[in-house]
Amino acid sequence: MPEDHEQPESSGAGEAAGGSGAAGSGAPAPVPGRRSFLRGALGAGVSAGVAGAALGAAGGYAYRAPQPTPKTQVAADQAATGRLPAVPFHGRYQAGILPLPQPATSVVSFDATAEGRGELTDLLQALTARARLLTAGGLPAPTGIGAPPSDSGTLGPSIVPDGLTVTVGVGSTLFDDRYGLAGHKPAKLTGMRTFPDDALDPAQVGGDLVVQLSAGHTDTVLHALRDITRHTRGGLQINWRMDGYTSPARPSGTVPRNHFGFMDGISNPDHTDAATMNRLVWVDSSTSGEPSWAAGGSYFVVRLIRMLTEFWDRVSIAEQEQMIGRRRPTGYPLDANSIQATPNFALDPNGGAIPLTAHLRLANPRTPQSADSRILRRAYNYDRGIDSVGNLDMGLLFTCFQQDVKRQFEATQTRLIGEPMVDYITPFGGGYFFALPGVADERDHYGRALLA
Amino acid sequence: MGALAAVALAGCASGSGSTASPAGAISISTGGCGGDWHLDTPGWHTFQLHNSASDAAEVELINPATGAVYDDIENLGAGTTAPLRLDVGSGSYAFRCLIEDTDAITGPTEKVPGHTSGATAILPVTDDDLLASAREYHKYVTTGLVTLARQVNTLNSAIQGAIQGGNLSAARSAWLPAHLTYERLGAAYDSFGDFDGEIDGRPDGLVGGVNSPDWTGFYRLEYGLWHGQSAASLKKLSAQLVHDVGALQKSWPSTQIDLLNMGLRTHEILENALQFQVSGHDDYGSGTTLATTEANVTGTKVLLTELRPVLAPRYTDLPAVYTWLNRLQKLIDATHTSRGWTAVSKLPTTTRQDIDAAISQSLVELAPIADITEPRRQ
Repeated sequence: MPEDHEQPESSGAGEAAGGSGAAGSGAPAPVPGRRSFLRGALGAGVSAGVAGAALGAAGGYAYRAPQPTPKTQVAADQAATGRLPAVPFHGRYQAGILPLPQPATSVVSFDATAEGRGELTDLLQALTARARLLTAGGLPAPTGIGAPPSDSGTLGPSIVPDGLTVTVGVGSTLFDDRYGLAGHKPAKLTGMRTFPDDALDPAQVGGDLVVQLSAGHTDTVLHALRDITRHTRGGLQINWRMDGYTSPARPSGTVPRNHFGFMDGISNPDHTDAATMNRLVWVDSSTSGEPSWAAGGSYFVVRLIRMLTEFWDRVSIAEQEQMIGRRRPTGYPLDANSIQATPNFALDPNGGAIPLTAHLRLANPRTPQSADSRILRRAYNYDRGIDSVGNLDMGLLFTCFQQDVKRQFEATQTRLIGEPMVDYITPFGGGYFFALPGVADERDHYGRALLA
Repeated sequence: MGALAAVALAGCASGSGSTASPAGAISISTGGCGGDWHLDTPGWHTFQLHNSASDAAEVELINPATGAVYDDIENLGAGTTAPLRLDVGSGSYAFRCLIEDTDAITGPTEKVPGHTSGATAILPVTDDDLLASAREYHKYVTTGLVTLARQVNTLNSAIQGAIQGGNLSAARSAWLPAHLTYERLGAAYDSFGDFDGEIDGRPDGLVGGVNSPDWTGFYRLEYGLWHGQSAASLKKLSAQLVHDVGALQKSWPSTQIDLLNMGLRTHEILENALQFQVSGHDDYGSGTTLATTEANVTGTKVLLTELRPVLAPRYTDLPAVYTWLNRLQKLIDATHTSRGWTAVSKLPTTTRQDIDAAISQSLVELAPIADITEPRRQ
């Protein structure tokens, strides 16, 4: 009965401390042996020294994965609650990059407060351990009488995976002088460029690390966020955060609508086609100029874009459709009779059907020269209260993945400079990140090759 | 789950007012604790504990050789069932039942075979274990109150002395040391009862907020001293503070420290510091909330010192607590320059993040102490 037995303990986490700390002296306490500076990779530090001698173990100090929930139970839970199954965590690529947007997401920018390279490594190990555990689900480890409960309980007694994916990226600031990583920066990683139509708030731009959590439900996302921050308190501080959601496709189909009422993300490269993804999304060992550790990663752009919905609602449908280049009810390009039709700009050189300044046309001119600049676009809606004049603070949590930010996102965004729609949107935050290569197996962790 | 053969033989029919326990549950009653149960193999297991007695109970799963507790269920109402899930290692186990108004009963010892380690147990802490710690803490507060009384007198004199045309700079200088002395006493807040609201209350919750006539104490004086209020308008408040501190000092010798609070306060002091000081919420003008935080760290460390005999053998991560508290102090000290303390709102973002990180991780490390030091019935 495998589910009746304890889980394997992670390596190197079993030393006992013996309680010989410098209590009361105020002096730095001697830390026996190598100990993670965070608790994420460890369990409660309750001593076995006095009480548990009969069991002959320093257990309890070692990290224990939660008990896997029996498969039949998982199936029953999913059926009862509408939760999604677990997404496998280990792999060459991070699992959250390619899939279509999930119903709920949160993009959280952190600054690293870890002191030095050793603590940064601990931090990434702790983050890996939590992500591995949260995406797999299971029963949280009890803590006995020695600590508060190990889990917040917001998903019930058992952590349900609910399709949770955790996508971790690093910002260019992580490669400053703090961690000795300056020589290892991904070749094309920079701070986020300010475009002419932006109104960036420095407090909502950039970050040393980004974590995107996506799942079937908001409670799953927030449970994961709470767990991750709990286990990384000393090493990470939240810089800014944006929660997003995906609307159901209306009236049918697969493409959700944004706050402007238009279908969003109709034209995207086929994420199931490996050759296309290799060309447009993944950095691999042959990608020119990239450090070898970066193979399996991808450039991750986040843009926080306010949409002035009240203003937009006061605009005629004809003008709205001209700005976008598609019919609002159906999503059809203005020159075609199906949603997936490729607009034929060559037959419409003067923009009689699709204006030359339409978003559709500028974003993707569909020329041989522009094919290389396509991005894997993953946008979510956001909604967060009101602004200072009583308008609704709604917008787009835009994310995209690519092999080269300049060649792809920036080229696309440059074509969009001054498009008519800019009067109705305000990009105010976000950042450029490099999504790390996937965590290969139980022994691997985020950034292992980077820190090696 | 096939490894389990748990049967409740004892207890079901004994004890007054007993109720039938559900099939497979382990029964708790005045006539027996746990009955016979058996596990063929170690591993994760969930025990269903059923209280068949007519009063509420607490049930512990213990190592009968040492009395150490693996886990417990508290507040198990009569007739109710609750799960206790444990990674059961090879070794000896017994249930210990603490039914209200009844002597503790320890059930039969059961041996789980093999050589597999499981969850560890902790030696429970009793009132007796904590008495010495609380006594030491009481003494610490007694000494602190002597200093505090002297310092609030100085503050009061400075304010009274400024009424005839003098300025309040001496009063502003006298305010901070007095306030910090009070903040170093952290652990005793609950023991201070209503005195704390009078001596160190904030205007939140008062109708009129900072203009409320009911707002008294250190923060009220800080607000006045740093918002251009006159000595004449503050003299009643500073005299009141002297009076309230005197009253506290007088009542202190007969005040008992709740033993449960000894452990709870080890994280609650800094939880409050994070919420009200590091956030800047309790900055009423002097910009010294980080000084207050440091005073709170000192108070926390005093408590840890007093609890050390109880904690050292039970909490292997105690050194990590000090690592983080020391880092926090170092970061706070670095904000204290020759020009004095810096308001948190004026600090660079990275400095605030470092301080937020250090106090937050300190709290994570401190959190288990309240559980470990919770006094348990013998």
